[in-house]
Amino acid sequence: MEKRMQSNAGFMKALKCRECGREYPLAATHVCEFDFGPLEVVYDYALIKKSLTRATIESRPNTMWRYRELLPVAEDPTVGTQVGFTPLIKADRLAKALGIRELWIKNDAVNYPTLSFKDRVVSVALSRAKELGFTTVACASTGNLANSVAANAAAAGLKAYVFIPSDLEQGKIVNSLIYGAQVISIKGHYDEVNRLCAEIAGKYGWAFVNVNMRPYYAEGSKSMGFEIMEQLGWRLPQHTVVPMASGSLLTKIHKSYQEMSKLGLVTETPWHMHGAQATGCNPISQAQKAGLDFFKPVKPNTIAKSLAIGTPADGFYSLKVMKESHGHAEDVTDDEIRDAIKLLAECEGIFAETAGGVTVGVAKKLIASGKIPAKDSAVLCITGNGLKTLDAVMGHCGQPREIKPSLREFEALLAAEKQSPVNA
Amino acid sequence: MATKAKKKPASAKAKASNGQEKKRVWLMYPPQKITRPILWELGQKFKVVTNIRQASVTEEIGIVCLELDGKGAEIAAAIKWLGKNGINVEPVEINVMAS
Repeated sequence: MEKRMQSNAGFMKALKCRECGREYPLAATHVCEFDFGPLEVVYDYALIKKSLTRATIESRPNTMWRYRELLPVAEDPTVGTQVGFTPLIKADRLAKALGIRELWIKNDAVNYPTLSFKDRVVSVALSRAKELGFTTVACASTGNLANSVAANAAAAGLKAYVFIPSDLEQGKIVNSLIYGAQVISIKGHYDEVNRLCAEIAGKYGWAFVNVNMRPYYAEGSKSMGFEIMEQLGWRLPQHTVVPMASGSLLTKIHKSYQEMSKLGLVTETPWHMHGAQATGCNPISQAQKAGLDFFKPVKPNTIAKSLAIGTPADGFYSLKVMKESHGHAEDVTDDEIRDAIKLLAECEGIFAETAGGVTVGVAKKLIASGKIPAKDSAVLCITGNGLKTLDAVMGHCGQPREIKPSLREFEALLAAEKQSPVNA
Repeated sequence: MATKAKKKPASAKAKASNGQEKKRVWLMYPPQKITRPILWELGQKFKVVTNIRQASVTEEIGIVCLELDGKGAEIAAAIKWLGKNGINVEPVEINVMAS
């Protein structure tokens, strides 16, 4: 299988170290043997240019796989074939509330099948894992990734191991257990749990999606960027605001813009990548605001659990991308996150998870400070569904008003509201 | 038991036949620890060979990518000691636990 894959790599050329540039075969490996730098997939762009046109893409089904030449699979995908092509919504009411000319929401809160952008990276990782001959897949996750691996592995008939910290909320565990995944809860501090997962990933010959499959897995995020450009009418957005956990999504959306420009599928116009974090876990935004090109680890304490990574693996690279693209980073408090979730819901009818609140809250700050000029256009990336983080907003979005089964009571309530409107 | 791929994926921790292990980690030093010769002290206290593959030291932070070579228990004790001495130790993948 390995031999076949190396001779039939699709549009991929090799894995390449992001630090020293050394190249490696297209296997399940993720670290450079020389300097331990992360490996990344490189493609044969000359070959891609020959077969990938706007017309070709537009003729394909509405999924992330319509850009398959730019995704790291050798053959047609076999896992998550329905993922992606989520709505890009022109958010006029939110634009008015935030004070910007034009605003778009890329809504991965409705991504198929598990309602987060992780379905993009997982479908790529599992499709590639099957090509490489794996039958067991794994991940270590506190939420969305676990759900996505469990669901997509079930649909593909793969065995799945999901490692979670022991203090995870019950709702999040059910979202993985329901698919029949082997869910292993690990007691201990985050650092210990993290190191054990790295050890397990190294010891067993499984496709660990965010470890040995990481070079392929991470590329799946580019599809969000490809879709944004196509849905904007084949053009680059001026500003893109992206939530940052490890920082990988921001770097990959940037890469998608570079690739589409390089292939001539969009006209290259300046774009700015902006990163959003929670104040309770802001290693990247803190570094960006201080003008540093490295981050300092922090201990997370925020309601935005899906962004609570104190030592982000792609922190350095996301700082580099923001610098190159003249973007900015900002962070928001838990209260600001809740307010932003409500604002997005009330203006656009979209209920985002806490990471979405972070993105909207940060966009508000960047627009107010002029870092995103009011005359410009911006895209906000919403990465997960609010139904997954109900606890974060419970008790912060009002209460239903109760009446007896009497028309008179209802009319009295309406009359009272007319005198002092509730949602003025 | 799970089926393995034909070629075993590269491992962050490789076990040699003589019981020796290799482990790859990132160390992050807070500013107040940067001037302390911690890797020398580690070499004195534990039977572990240290091999630096990347490093960056500024006034704000020290970052070292390190390979540790020795017996498993000795490597584990050395990592614990680093943590106790205020050094942030992460696996080479950094955050394996994703959201």
